[in-house]
Amino acid sequence: VAKTSLTSPPWPEVKLPDPVEEAKYHAEVVRKVNGLISAGEYGRLFAVVHFASKQWKITNEDLIMMDNVLEAECGDRIRMEKVLLVGADDFTLIGRPLLGKDLVRVEATVIEKTESWPKVNVRFWRRHNFQRKKIIANPQTVLRINTIEIYPCLS
Amino acid sequence: RYVRQLQRLQLLFSPTAADARGARQFVEEAAQDFARQHPDVVLYVSPHSGPGPAPVLRAEYLNGTVREELIASMTSEEIVQLATKLANQSGLDIIRIRKPFHTDNPSVQGQWHPLTNKPSILTVQGPRLQPQ
Repeated sequence: VAKTSLTSPPWPEVKLPDPVEEAKYHAEVVRKVNGLISAGEYGRLFAVVHFASKQWKITNEDLIMMDNVLEAECGDRIRMEKVLLVGADDFTLIGRPLLGKDLVRVEATVIEKTESWPKVNVRFWRRHNFQRKKIIANPQTVLRINTIEIYPCLS
Repeated sequence: RYVRQLQRLQLLFSPTAADARGARQFVEEAAQDFARQHPDVVLYVSPHSGPGPAPVLRAEYLNGTVREELIASMTSEEIVQLATKLANQSGLDIIRIRKPFHTDNPSVQGQWHPLTNKPSILTVQGPRLQPQ
């Protein structure tokens, strides 16, 4: 049969490796990463956390501000679940879509509960003598991420 | 380790003014509870007799900013809420902040630049470039 421009798809054909070899390769990679974690040879860890309907990329000692009110008082320690991704200098652990709670631990403290700057909400219709002015100050909370820890229990 | 940013709260009111009624009720009932709930905040109550300035709740923070709020014609519950709100704040100015996050170390695995994840020039076989 003659080869036309539509016989093969336009993307390059990829050959997948052997599943047995792939499984061996995976096991070795997992063992190496586990060894690294248990030896504690990673430097800074960063994590992607889903919090307050937003995804944040956080490391140790950094500040995050939410536009809502948390039920914790100032100075409370909070543990964040819903961790999507954890990475270090040499390796990353990607969750599908979340990572297990016994793998990662992200701790934060509530520093401050203030209000935002006063925003002006004006409604105006021209030629209708309609003018309403409202000042809105949203409550905000400021969190500081204390630690991100991982435990060597991959599989 | 958490340090409350509020240093002291000064409650200035006059016992005879009519609009300081909420402040007087707050001092009688809720001031002790508030002081007990926030043990690291110092609460000063200083009544100045006679028709003086309007009743004011002044909050001083650890970075030196002083914030004054009028308490004229406010009930004691509202004053309690105001006081807790001031106690939870820090002394930074309330202006528009551009970013809701702040990091000192933004990149862990090295910042991305257009040459990451690209093969090096030595191995690319172009029409003129020969591998050396």
